Amino acid sequence: MVSIGSSYGSAELPDKPVVVIERAKSWVGLNLRDLWSYRELLYFLMWRDVKVRYKQTLLGASWAIIQPLVTMIVFTYFFGKLARVPTDGVPYTVFFYTGLLVWTYFSNALINGANSLVGNANLITKVYFPRLIIPSAAVLSGLLDFAIASLLLVGLLIYYGFPVTVQYLMLLPLVALATALALGFGIWLSALNVRYRDVRYALSFLVQIWMFVSPIIYPSSVVPQEWRWLMVLNPMTGIVEGFRASLFGKPIQWTALGYSTMFTVMILLYSAYAFRRMERHFAELI
Amino acid sequence: MRPIIKVENLSKQFRIQPANRPAVRYDTLRESLVEALRSPLRRVRGNGQAADDTIWALKNVSFEVMPGEVMGVIGPNGAGKSTLLSLLSRIIEPTAGRAELFGRVASLLEVGTGFHPDLSGRENIYLNGAVLGMRRREIDGRFDEIVAFAEVEKFIDTAVKRYSSGMYVRLAFAVAAHLNPEILLVDEVLAVGDASFQRKCLGKIDEVTRSGRTVLLVTHNLGVIPQLCERAILLSHGQVASCGLAQEVLDCYISMNSTSPADL
Repeated sequence: MVSIGSSYGSAELPDKPVVVIERAKSWVGLNLRDLWSYRELLYFLMWRDVKVRYKQTLLGASWAIIQPLVTMIVFTYFFGKLARVPTDGVPYTVFFYTGLLVWTYFSNALINGANSLVGNANLITKVYFPRLIIPSAAVLSGLLDFAIASLLLVGLLIYYGFPVTVQYLMLLPLVALATALALGFGIWLSALNVRYRDVRYALSFLVQIWMFVSPIIYPSSVVPQEWRWLMVLNPMTGIVEGFRASLFGKPIQWTALGYSTMFTVMILLYSAYAFRRMERHFAELI
Repeated sequence: MRPIIKVENLSKQFRIQPANRPAVRYDTLRESLVEALRSPLRRVRGNGQAADDTIWALKNVSFEVMPGEVMGVIGPNGAGKSTLLSLLSRIIEPTAGRAELFGRVASLLEVGTGFHPDLSGRENIYLNGAVLGMRRREIDGRFDEIVAFAEVEKFIDTAVKRYSSGMYVRLAFAVAAHLNPEILLVDEVLAVGDASFQRKCLGKIDEVTRSGRTVLLVTHNLGVIPQLCERAILLSHGQVASCGLAQEVLDCYISMNSTSPADL
Protein backbone atom coordinates (compact mmCIF):
# COMPACT_ATOMS: atom_id res chain seq x y z
CA MET A 1 0.00 0.00 0.00
CA VAL A 2 3.03 2.27 0.31
CA SER A 3 3.10 2.81 -3.44
CA ILE A 4 -0.52 3.94 -3.42
CA GLY A 5 0.09 6.11 -0.41
CA SER A 6 2.84 7.97 -2.21
CA SER A 7 0.73 8.57 -5.31
CA TYR A 8 -1.97 9.92 -3.05
CA GLY A 9 0.37 11.66 -0.64
CA SER A 10 -0.17 14.63 1.62
CA ALA A 11 0.86 16.96 -1.21
CA GLU A 12 -2.61 16.50 -2.67
CA LEU A 13 -4.44 17.09 0.58
CA PRO A 14 -5.97 20.53 1.02
CA ASP A 15 -4.45 22.69 3.77
CA LYS A 16 -7.81 23.34 5.37
CA PRO A 17 -10.18 20.49 6.19
CA VAL A 18 -13.07 20.05 3.76
CA VAL A 19 -15.34 19.08 6.63
CA VAL A 20 -15.00 20.02 10.29
CA ILE A 21 -17.17 18.16 12.75
CA GLU A 22 -17.75 19.75 16.12
CA ARG A 23 -20.55 20.95 18.32
CA ALA A 24 -22.28 23.85 16.55
CA LYS A 25 -22.18 27.30 18.05
CA SER A 26 -25.41 28.77 19.32
CA TRP A 27 -25.79 31.00 16.26
CA VAL A 28 -25.64 29.13 12.99
CA GLY A 29 -25.80 30.96 9.69
CA LEU A 30 -27.93 29.89 6.77
CA ASN A 31 -24.94 28.38 4.98
CA LEU A 32 -26.21 29.28 1.54
CA ARG A 33 -23.08 27.91 -0.12
CA ASP A 34 -23.84 24.43 1.23
CA LEU A 35 -27.45 24.75 0.01
CA TRP A 36 -26.28 25.83 -3.43
CA SER A 37 -23.91 22.88 -3.77
CA TYR A 38 -26.86 20.56 -3.14
CA ARG A 39 -29.20 22.25 -5.64
CA GLU A 40 -29.34 19.10 -7.78
CA LEU A 41 -30.72 17.16 -4.84
CA LEU A 42 -33.47 19.78 -4.49
CA TYR A 43 -34.32 19.19 -8.12
CA PHE A 44 -34.32 15.39 -7.74
CA LEU A 45 -36.51 15.47 -4.62
CA MET A 46 -39.02 17.77 -6.34
CA TRP A 47 -38.97 15.51 -9.35
CA ARG A 48 -39.54 12.47 -7.09
CA ASP A 49 -42.50 14.12 -5.33
CA VAL A 50 -44.09 15.02 -8.66
CA LYS A 51 -43.48 11.56 -10.19
CA VAL A 52 -44.76 9.67 -7.18
CA ARG A 53 -47.85 11.81 -6.62
CA TYR A 54 -49.95 10.35 -9.42
CA LYS A 55 -48.24 6.97 -9.87
CA GLN A 56 -50.73 4.13 -10.09
CA THR A 57 -53.70 6.49 -10.38
CA LEU A 58 -56.24 6.17 -13.17
CA LEU A 59 -56.71 9.89 -13.74
CA GLY A 60 -53.12 10.97 -13.17
CA ALA A 61 -52.37 14.68 -13.21
CA SER A 62 -56.00 15.60 -13.95
CA TRP A 63 -56.50 15.27 -10.18
CA ALA A 64 -54.82 18.66 -9.99
CA ILE A 65 -57.85 20.14 -11.80
CA ILE A 66 -60.55 17.88 -10.34
CA GLN A 67 -59.94 18.95 -6.74
CA PRO A 68 -60.54 22.73 -7.22
CA LEU A 69 -63.09 22.17 -9.99
CA VAL A 70 -65.46 20.03 -7.93
CA THR A 71 -65.15 22.37 -4.94
CA MET A 72 -65.86 25.30 -7.25
CA ILE A 73 -69.05 23.62 -8.53
CA VAL A 74 -70.23 22.93 -4.97
CA PHE A 75 -69.44 26.49 -3.88
CA THR A 76 -71.11 28.01 -6.95
CA TYR A 77 -74.31 26.16 -6.13
CA PHE A 78 -74.44 26.66 -2.35
CA PHE A 79 -72.72 30.00 -1.78
CA GLY A 80 -73.59 31.46 -5.16
CA LYS A 81 -77.02 30.30 -6.31
CA LEU A 82 -78.50 29.60 -2.83
CA ALA A 83 -76.76 31.99 -0.42
CA ARG A 84 -76.17 34.68 -3.07
CA VAL A 85 -72.79 35.79 -1.73
CA PRO A 86 -71.84 39.04 -3.49
CA THR A 87 -68.82 38.71 -5.78
CA ASP A 88 -68.23 42.32 -6.89
CA GLY A 89 -69.96 41.58 -10.19
CA VAL A 90 -67.69 38.70 -11.18
CA PRO A 91 -69.37 35.44 -12.36
CA TYR A 92 -69.52 32.91 -9.52
CA THR A 93 -67.55 30.19 -11.29
CA VAL A 94 -64.54 32.40 -12.06
CA PHE A 95 -64.71 34.08 -8.68
CA PHE A 96 -64.67 30.84 -6.69
CA TYR A 97 -62.24 29.04 -8.97
CA THR A 98 -59.66 31.83 -8.68
CA GLY A 99 -59.85 31.77 -4.89
CA LEU A 100 -59.78 27.98 -4.74
CA LEU A 101 -56.89 27.72 -7.18
CA VAL A 102 -54.71 29.93 -5.00
CA TRP A 103 -55.92 28.37 -1.77
CA THR A 104 -55.52 24.76 -2.95
CA TYR A 105 -51.96 25.49 -4.05
CA PHE A 106 -51.08 27.30 -0.84
CA SER A 107 -52.66 24.82 1.57
CA ASN A 108 -51.29 21.72 -0.18
CA ALA A 109 -47.82 23.26 -0.32
CA LEU A 110 -48.05 24.15 3.36
CA ILE A 111 -49.28 20.72 4.47
CA ASN A 112 -46.81 18.82 2.28
CA GLY A 113 -44.00 21.03 3.56
CA ALA A 114 -44.98 20.52 7.20
CA ASN A 115 -45.10 16.73 6.85
CA SER A 116 -42.02 16.46 4.67
CA LEU A 117 -39.29 15.87 7.27
CA VAL A 118 -41.22 13.16 9.09
CA GLY A 119 -42.02 11.54 5.75
CA ASN A 120 -38.33 11.47 4.84
CA ALA A 121 -37.02 10.14 8.15
CA ASN A 122 -35.12 7.39 6.31
CA LEU A 123 -33.00 10.01 4.53
CA ILE A 124 -32.37 12.09 7.61
CA THR A 125 -31.01 9.22 9.68
CA LYS A 126 -28.75 7.89 6.93
CA VAL A 127 -27.22 10.69 4.88
CA TYR A 128 -26.04 14.23 5.34
CA PHE A 129 -27.32 17.10 3.23
CA PRO A 130 -28.75 20.50 4.16
CA ARG A 131 -32.10 19.53 5.67
CA LEU A 132 -33.76 22.70 4.36
CA ILE A 133 -33.87 20.97 1.00
CA ILE A 134 -36.58 18.55 2.12
CA PRO A 135 -39.36 21.03 3.03
CA SER A 136 -38.33 23.29 0.13
CA ALA A 137 -38.73 20.47 -2.37
CA ALA A 138 -42.08 19.49 -0.88
CA VAL A 139 -43.43 23.05 -1.15
CA LEU A 140 -42.04 23.77 -4.62
CA SER A 141 -43.29 20.51 -6.12
CA GLY A 142 -46.83 21.91 -5.77
CA LEU A 143 -46.09 24.42 -8.54
CA LEU A 144 -46.75 21.87 -11.25
CA ASP A 145 -50.23 21.07 -9.93
CA PHE A 146 -50.87 24.80 -9.73
CA ALA A 147 -49.81 25.26 -13.35
CA ILE A 148 -52.07 22.42 -14.51
CA ALA A 149 -55.06 23.72 -12.54
CA SER A 150 -54.44 27.22 -13.95
CA LEU A 151 -55.27 25.93 -17.45
CA LEU A 152 -58.93 25.69 -16.46
CA LEU A 153 -58.84 29.25 -15.16
CA VAL A 154 -57.50 30.44 -18.50
CA GLY A 155 -60.43 28.68 -20.17
CA LEU A 156 -62.94 30.32 -17.82
CA LEU A 157 -61.43 33.78 -18.35
CA ILE A 158 -61.66 33.40 -22.12
CA TYR A 159 -65.21 32.05 -21.90
CA TYR A 160 -66.40 35.03 -19.86
CA GLY A 161 -64.47 37.44 -22.08
CA PHE A 162 -62.16 39.00 -19.49
CA PRO A 163 -59.63 41.22 -21.28
CA VAL A 164 -55.89 40.74 -20.81
CA THR A 165 -54.58 43.78 -18.95
CA VAL A 166 -51.19 45.08 -17.88
CA GLN A 167 -52.15 43.95 -14.35
CA TYR A 168 -51.44 40.35 -15.48
CA LEU A 169 -47.79 41.24 -14.84
CA MET A 170 -48.62 41.05 -11.13
CA LEU A 171 -49.52 37.36 -11.33
CA LEU A 172 -45.97 36.07 -11.29
CA PRO A 173 -44.88 38.04 -8.19
CA LEU A 174 -48.13 36.95 -6.52
CA VAL A 175 -47.41 33.27 -7.16
CA ALA A 176 -43.90 33.82 -5.80
CA LEU A 177 -45.35 35.49 -2.72
CA ALA A 178 -47.82 32.64 -2.06
CA THR A 179 -44.96 30.15 -2.50
CA ALA A 180 -42.70 32.07 -0.13
CA LEU A 181 -45.45 32.23 2.48
CA ALA A 182 -46.08 28.48 2.24
CA LEU A 183 -42.33 27.95 2.44
CA GLY A 184 -42.06 30.19 5.49
CA PHE A 185 -44.70 28.31 7.44
CA GLY A 186 -43.80 24.94 5.93
CA ILE A 187 -40.13 25.10 6.97
CA TRP A 188 -40.96 26.05 10.53
CA LEU A 189 -43.79 23.53 10.94
CA SER A 190 -41.77 20.70 9.43
CA ALA A 191 -39.08 21.20 12.07
CA LEU A 192 -41.66 21.46 14.83
CA ASN A 193 -43.32 18.29 13.53
CA VAL A 194 -40.13 16.32 14.12
CA ARG A 195 -40.41 16.98 17.84
CA TYR A 196 -44.17 17.33 18.25
CA ARG A 197 -46.34 15.11 16.08
CA ASP A 198 -49.31 17.24 17.15
CA VAL A 199 -48.48 19.47 14.19
CA ARG A 200 -49.87 16.98 11.70
CA TYR A 201 -53.26 16.80 13.43
CA ALA A 202 -53.54 20.45 14.33
CA LEU A 203 -52.60 21.63 10.86
CA SER A 204 -55.33 19.88 8.88
CA PHE A 205 -58.10 21.62 10.76
CA LEU A 206 -56.24 24.90 11.24
CA VAL A 207 -55.88 25.12 7.47
CA GLN A 208 -59.65 24.67 7.16
CA ILE A 209 -60.32 27.49 9.61
CA TRP A 210 -57.72 29.61 7.82
CA MET A 211 -59.64 29.16 4.57
CA PHE A 212 -62.85 30.48 6.11
CA VAL A 213 -61.13 33.61 7.44
CA SER A 214 -59.52 34.22 4.03
CA PRO A 215 -61.55 35.76 1.19
CA ILE A 216 -62.00 32.50 -0.74
CA ILE A 217 -65.78 32.01 -0.52
CA TYR A 218 -66.52 35.73 -0.27
CA PRO A 219 -64.77 38.97 -1.29
CA SER A 220 -63.23 41.00 1.53
CA SER A 221 -65.62 43.81 0.50
CA VAL A 222 -68.46 42.05 2.36
CA VAL A 223 -66.61 42.65 5.63
CA PRO A 224 -67.70 45.99 7.24
CA GLN A 225 -65.15 48.77 6.77
CA GLU A 226 -64.28 49.02 10.49
CA TRP A 227 -63.31 45.31 10.58
CA ARG A 228 -61.41 45.29 7.29
CA TRP A 229 -58.04 45.77 9.05
CA LEU A 230 -58.58 42.56 11.00
CA MET A 231 -59.17 40.68 7.76
CA VAL A 232 -55.98 42.13 6.29
CA LEU A 233 -53.89 40.88 9.24
CA ASN A 234 -54.22 37.48 7.57
CA PRO A 235 -51.39 37.53 4.99
CA MET A 236 -53.46 35.42 2.58
CA THR A 237 -56.05 38.19 2.25
CA GLY A 238 -53.70 40.49 0.35
CA ILE A 239 -52.50 37.63 -1.84
CA VAL A 240 -55.92 36.23 -2.81
CA GLU A 241 -57.41 39.70 -3.36
CA GLY A 242 -54.31 40.59 -5.35
CA PHE A 243 -54.92 37.64 -7.67
CA ARG A 244 -58.57 38.58 -8.20
CA ALA A 245 -57.81 42.26 -8.77
CA SER A 246 -55.09 41.44 -11.32
CA LEU A 247 -57.27 39.00 -13.24
CA PHE A 248 -60.54 40.95 -13.16
CA GLY A 249 -58.98 44.36 -13.87
CA LYS A 250 -59.87 45.85 -10.45
CA PRO A 251 -57.63 48.21 -8.44
CA ILE A 252 -54.98 46.36 -6.43
CA GLN A 253 -54.99 47.03 -2.66
CA TRP A 254 -51.35 47.89 -2.27
CA THR A 255 -51.45 48.34 1.49
CA ALA A 256 -52.76 44.82 2.06
CA LEU A 257 -50.31 43.40 -0.44
CA GLY A 258 -47.41 45.32 1.10
CA TYR A 259 -48.32 43.93 4.52
CA SER A 260 -48.47 40.37 3.11
CA THR A 261 -45.03 40.84 1.61
CA MET A 262 -43.58 42.14 4.88
CA PHE A 263 -45.18 39.31 6.81
CA THR A 264 -43.82 36.73 4.35
CA VAL A 265 -40.27 38.06 4.56
CA MET A 266 -40.40 38.05 8.37
CA ILE A 267 -41.80 34.52 8.66
CA LEU A 268 -39.31 33.24 6.11
CA LEU A 269 -36.36 34.71 8.02
CA TYR A 270 -37.63 33.49 11.37
CA SER A 271 -38.37 30.00 10.04
CA ALA A 272 -34.97 29.62 8.42
CA TYR A 273 -33.35 30.64 11.71
CA ALA A 274 -35.56 28.35 13.82
CA PHE A 275 -35.03 25.48 11.40
CA ARG A 276 -31.25 25.78 11.51
CA ARG A 277 -31.36 25.73 15.29
CA MET A 278 -33.52 22.60 15.47
CA GLU A 279 -31.91 20.86 12.50
CA ARG A 280 -28.98 19.36 14.38
CA HIS A 281 -31.21 17.23 16.59
CA PHE A 282 -33.43 15.89 13.80
CA ALA A 283 -31.66 12.56 13.37
CA GLU A 284 -31.93 11.83 17.10
CA LEU A 285 -35.56 12.91 17.50
CA ILE A 286 -37.22 11.68 14.35
CA MET B 1 2.44 12.37 5.37
CA ARG B 2 -0.57 14.12 6.88
CA PRO B 3 -3.72 12.26 7.93
CA ILE B 4 -6.86 12.64 5.82
CA ILE B 5 -9.11 11.90 8.79
CA LYS B 6 -8.20 13.39 12.13
CA VAL B 7 -10.39 12.61 15.12
CA GLU B 8 -9.68 14.25 18.46
CA ASN B 9 -11.50 13.39 21.69
CA LEU B 10 -14.76 12.88 19.85
CA SER B 11 -17.57 12.26 22.34
CA LYS B 12 -21.30 11.76 22.05
CA GLN B 13 -23.76 11.75 24.87
CA PHE B 14 -27.28 10.44 24.32
CA ARG B 15 -30.31 11.14 26.43
CA ILE B 16 -32.16 7.99 27.34
CA GLN B 17 -35.64 7.61 28.76
CA PRO B 18 -35.49 7.35 32.55
CA ALA B 19 -37.26 4.31 33.95
CA ASN B 20 -40.05 6.25 35.67
CA ARG B 21 -41.38 7.67 32.42
CA PRO B 22 -43.06 5.78 29.58
CA ALA B 23 -40.68 4.98 26.76
CA VAL B 24 -42.35 6.97 23.99
CA ARG B 25 -40.36 7.63 20.87
CA TYR B 26 -41.51 11.18 20.34
CA ASP B 27 -43.09 13.54 22.77
CA THR B 28 -46.26 15.49 22.25
CA LEU B 29 -46.75 19.13 23.09
CA ARG B 30 -48.88 18.18 26.10
CA GLU B 31 -46.15 15.99 27.56
CA SER B 32 -43.52 18.63 27.21
CA LEU B 33 -45.80 21.21 28.85
CA VAL B 34 -46.37 18.81 31.75
CA GLU B 35 -42.64 18.19 31.84
CA ALA B 36 -41.89 21.90 31.91
CA LEU B 37 -44.16 22.31 34.91
CA ARG B 38 -42.69 19.31 36.65
CA SER B 39 -39.01 19.90 36.07
CA PRO B 40 -38.55 22.87 38.45
CA LEU B 41 -40.03 20.67 41.17
CA ARG B 42 -37.58 17.96 40.31
CA ARG B 43 -34.72 20.40 40.44
CA VAL B 44 -35.85 21.47 43.91
CA ARG B 45 -35.97 17.87 45.02
CA GLY B 46 -32.50 17.55 43.58
CA ASN B 47 -32.15 13.79 43.61
CA GLY B 48 -29.50 13.94 40.92
CA GLN B 49 -31.57 12.21 38.30
CA ALA B 50 -29.76 13.93 35.45
CA ALA B 51 -26.90 11.48 35.66
CA ASP B 52 -29.14 8.48 34.92
CA ASP B 53 -30.77 10.21 31.97
CA THR B 54 -27.73 10.16 29.75
CA ILE B 55 -25.24 7.71 28.34
CA TRP B 56 -21.89 8.29 26.66
CA ALA B 57 -22.10 6.37 23.40
CA LEU B 58 -18.62 7.59 22.53
CA LYS B 59 -16.08 9.05 24.91
CA ASN B 60 -12.82 10.78 23.97
CA VAL B 61 -12.19 8.81 20.82
CA SER B 62 -9.06 9.89 18.96
CA PHE B 63 -7.39 8.38 15.92
CA GLU B 64 -5.97 9.28 12.53
CA VAL B 65 -6.35 7.71 9.12
CA MET B 66 -3.77 8.25 6.38
CA PRO B 67 -4.76 8.87 2.74
CA GLY B 68 -5.38 5.66 0.84
CA GLU B 69 -5.67 3.61 3.99
CA VAL B 70 -8.49 1.16 4.73
CA MET B 71 -9.33 1.25 8.40
CA GLY B 72 -11.59 -1.35 9.97
CA VAL B 73 -13.74 -0.52 12.98
CA ILE B 74 -14.72 -3.50 15.13
CA GLY B 75 -16.20 -4.06 18.54
CA PRO B 76 -19.13 -5.67 20.34
CA ASN B 77 -22.71 -4.43 19.92
CA GLY B 78 -23.23 -1.06 21.55
CA ALA B 79 -19.54 -0.19 21.47
CA GLY B 80 -20.24 3.01 19.53
CA LYS B 81 -19.24 1.94 16.02
CA SER B 82 -22.38 3.20 14.32
CA THR B 83 -22.35 6.35 16.43
CA LEU B 84 -18.83 7.04 15.21
CA LEU B 85 -19.89 6.70 11.58
CA SER B 86 -23.00 8.83 12.12
CA LEU B 87 -20.84 11.55 13.64
CA LEU B 88 -18.31 11.47 10.82
CA SER B 89 -21.18 11.45 8.30
CA ARG B 90 -22.55 14.64 9.92
CA ILE B 91 -25.90 13.01 10.64
CA ILE B 92 -25.62 13.68 14.35
CA GLU B 93 -23.61 16.30 16.18
CA PRO B 94 -20.85 15.51 18.71
CA THR B 95 -21.27 16.56 22.33
CA ALA B 96 -17.57 17.35 22.55
CA GLY B 97 -14.39 16.92 20.57
CA ARG B 98 -13.57 17.52 16.96
CA ALA B 99 -12.98 15.72 13.70
CA GLU B 100 -11.41 17.04 10.52
CA LEU B 101 -11.84 15.44 7.13
CA PHE B 102 -9.53 16.55 4.32
CA GLY B 103 -11.55 15.31 1.37
CA ARG B 104 -14.97 14.76 -0.13
CA VAL B 105 -16.92 12.30 2.00
CA ALA B 106 -19.59 9.81 1.05
CA SER B 107 -21.22 7.67 3.68
CA LEU B 108 -22.91 4.41 3.11
CA LEU B 109 -24.81 3.54 6.27
CA GLU B 110 -27.31 1.32 4.50
CA VAL B 111 -27.93 0.22 0.93
CA GLY B 112 -30.72 1.91 -0.97
CA THR B 113 -31.17 5.07 1.08
CA GLY B 114 -33.87 7.12 -0.59
CA PHE B 115 -35.07 4.34 -2.89
CA HIS B 116 -38.73 4.83 -3.67
CA PRO B 117 -40.71 1.63 -4.32
CA ASP B 118 -43.00 3.25 -6.90
CA LEU B 119 -40.17 4.54 -9.06
CA SER B 120 -38.41 2.49 -11.72
CA GLY B 121 -34.88 1.16 -11.44
CA ARG B 122 -33.68 3.90 -13.78
CA GLU B 123 -35.36 6.65 -11.73
CA ASN B 124 -34.05 5.22 -8.47
CA ILE B 125 -30.47 5.17 -9.74
CA TYR B 126 -30.69 8.93 -10.31
CA LEU B 127 -32.51 9.61 -7.06
CA ASN B 128 -30.21 7.45 -4.94
CA GLY B 129 -27.13 8.79 -6.69
CA ALA B 130 -28.22 12.38 -5.96
CA VAL B 131 -28.95 11.50 -2.33
CA LEU B 132 -25.46 10.03 -1.98
CA GLY B 133 -23.93 13.22 -3.38
CA MET B 134 -23.33 12.36 -7.04
CA ARG B 135 -23.82 14.97 -9.73
CA ARG B 136 -26.30 14.26 -12.46
CA ARG B 137 -23.52 14.19 -15.04
CA GLU B 138 -21.54 11.68 -12.98
CA ILE B 139 -24.60 9.42 -12.85
CA ASP B 140 -25.14 9.78 -16.60
CA GLY B 141 -21.56 8.69 -17.17
CA ARG B 142 -21.74 5.63 -14.94
CA PHE B 143 -25.33 4.63 -15.62
CA ASP B 144 -24.60 1.66 -17.91
CA GLU B 145 -21.86 0.42 -15.62
CA ILE B 146 -24.22 0.51 -12.62
CA VAL B 147 -26.96 -1.36 -14.46
CA ALA B 148 -24.53 -3.98 -15.71
CA PHE B 149 -23.03 -4.45 -12.26
CA ALA B 150 -26.48 -4.94 -10.72
CA GLU B 151 -27.50 -7.35 -13.51
CA VAL B 152 -30.95 -5.77 -13.87
CA GLU B 153 -30.80 -4.65 -17.53
CA LYS B 154 -34.16 -6.20 -18.42
CA PHE B 155 -36.03 -4.63 -15.52
CA ILE B 156 -34.52 -1.16 -15.54
CA ASP B 157 -37.88 0.48 -16.34
CA THR B 158 -39.89 -1.62 -13.88
CA ALA B 159 -40.93 -0.18 -10.51
CA VAL B 160 -38.49 -1.47 -7.88
CA LYS B 161 -41.36 -2.70 -5.71
CA ARG B 162 -41.77 -5.46 -8.31
CA TYR B 163 -38.11 -6.46 -7.94
CA SER B 164 -37.06 -9.53 -6.00
CA SER B 165 -35.27 -8.60 -2.80
CA GLY B 166 -32.02 -9.81 -4.36
CA MET B 167 -32.42 -7.54 -7.39
CA TYR B 168 -33.28 -4.65 -5.11
CA VAL B 169 -30.14 -4.87 -2.97
CA ARG B 170 -27.97 -5.54 -6.02
CA LEU B 171 -29.17 -2.33 -7.63
CA ALA B 172 -28.77 -0.39 -4.40
CA PHE B 173 -25.25 -1.70 -3.86
CA ALA B 174 -24.34 -1.01 -7.48
CA VAL B 175 -25.18 2.70 -7.15
CA ALA B 176 -23.18 2.98 -3.94
CA ALA B 177 -20.23 1.08 -5.38
CA HIS B 178 -19.90 3.63 -8.16
CA LEU B 179 -19.55 6.60 -5.87
CA ASN B 180 -16.29 8.43 -6.27
CA PRO B 181 -15.41 10.28 -3.07
CA GLU B 182 -11.99 10.66 -1.48
CA ILE B 183 -13.27 9.28 1.82
CA LEU B 184 -15.81 6.49 2.05
CA LEU B 185 -17.56 5.63 5.32
CA VAL B 186 -19.15 2.19 5.16
CA ASP B 187 -21.37 0.44 7.70
CA GLU B 188 -22.11 -3.28 7.35
CA VAL B 189 -23.28 -3.16 3.78
CA LEU B 190 -20.74 -5.44 2.21
CA ALA B 191 -22.60 -8.70 2.23
CA VAL B 192 -25.74 -8.39 0.17
CA GLY B 193 -27.30 -10.75 -2.32
CA ASP B 194 -26.37 -14.39 -2.92
CA ALA B 195 -22.92 -15.94 -2.54
CA SER B 196 -21.73 -15.07 -6.05
CA PHE B 197 -22.89 -11.47 -5.78
CA GLN B 198 -21.24 -11.17 -2.36
CA ARG B 199 -17.95 -12.18 -3.94
CA LYS B 200 -18.52 -9.53 -6.58
CA CYS B 201 -19.22 -6.93 -3.87
CA LEU B 202 -16.06 -7.78 -1.96
CA GLY B 203 -14.12 -7.61 -5.22
CA LYS B 204 -15.57 -4.16 -5.86
CA ILE B 205 -14.68 -2.95 -2.36
CA ASP B 206 -11.17 -4.28 -2.87
CA GLU B 207 -10.95 -2.42 -6.19
CA VAL B 208 -12.21 0.79 -4.54
CA THR B 209 -9.55 0.55 -1.86
CA ARG B 210 -6.81 -0.12 -4.40
CA SER B 211 -7.76 3.00 -6.33
CA GLY B 212 -6.31 5.05 -3.46
CA ARG B 213 -9.47 6.03 -1.67
CA THR B 214 -9.61 6.19 2.09
CA VAL B 215 -12.16 3.85 3.62
CA LEU B 216 -13.49 3.57 7.15
CA LEU B 217 -15.25 0.26 7.40
CA VAL B 218 -17.50 -0.91 10.24
CA THR B 219 -18.15 -4.62 10.17
CA HIS B 220 -19.13 -7.64 12.21
CA ASN B 221 -17.75 -9.91 9.54
CA LEU B 222 -14.32 -10.36 11.10
CA GLY B 223 -13.18 -12.49 8.18
CA VAL B 224 -12.93 -9.54 5.84
CA ILE B 225 -10.89 -7.40 8.24
CA PRO B 226 -7.41 -8.82 7.54
CA GLN B 227 -8.42 -9.30 3.90
CA LEU B 228 -9.39 -5.65 3.24
CA CYS B 229 -7.88 -3.51 5.99
CA GLU B 230 -4.29 -2.65 6.91
CA ARG B 231 -5.24 -1.15 10.22
CA ALA B 232 -8.17 -1.41 12.58
CA ILE B 233 -9.69 0.17 15.67
CA LEU B 234 -11.35 -1.81 18.41
CA LEU B 235 -14.10 0.09 20.20
CA SER B 236 -15.46 -1.04 23.53
CA HIS B 237 -17.96 0.87 25.70
CA GLY B 238 -17.49 3.96 23.57
CA GLN B 239 -13.72 4.08 23.92
CA VAL B 240 -10.79 2.99 21.81
CA ALA B 241 -9.63 -0.31 23.31
CA SER B 242 -6.99 -0.98 20.69
CA CYS B 243 -5.72 0.62 17.52
CA GLY B 244 -3.05 -0.67 15.19
CA LEU B 245 -2.35 -3.35 12.58
CA ALA B 246 -5.53 -5.16 11.60
CA GLN B 247 -4.39 -8.64 12.68
CA GLU B 248 -3.18 -7.45 16.10
CA VAL B 249 -6.41 -5.58 16.82
CA LEU B 250 -8.39 -8.60 15.68
CA ASP B 251 -6.41 -10.87 18.03
CA CYS B 252 -7.03 -8.41 20.82
CA TYR B 253 -10.78 -8.50 20.11
CA ILE B 254 -10.83 -12.29 20.01
CA SER B 255 -8.97 -12.59 23.31
CA MET B 256 -11.32 -10.02 24.82
CA ASN B 257 -14.26 -12.15 23.77
CA SER B 258 -12.79 -15.35 25.14
CA THR B 259 -12.27 -13.80 28.58
CA SER B 260 -15.75 -12.32 28.73
CA PRO B 261 -18.07 -14.45 26.63
CA ALA B 262 -21.03 -12.30 27.70
CA ASP B 263 -19.83 -9.54 25.37
CA LEU B 264 -20.24 -11.71 22.33
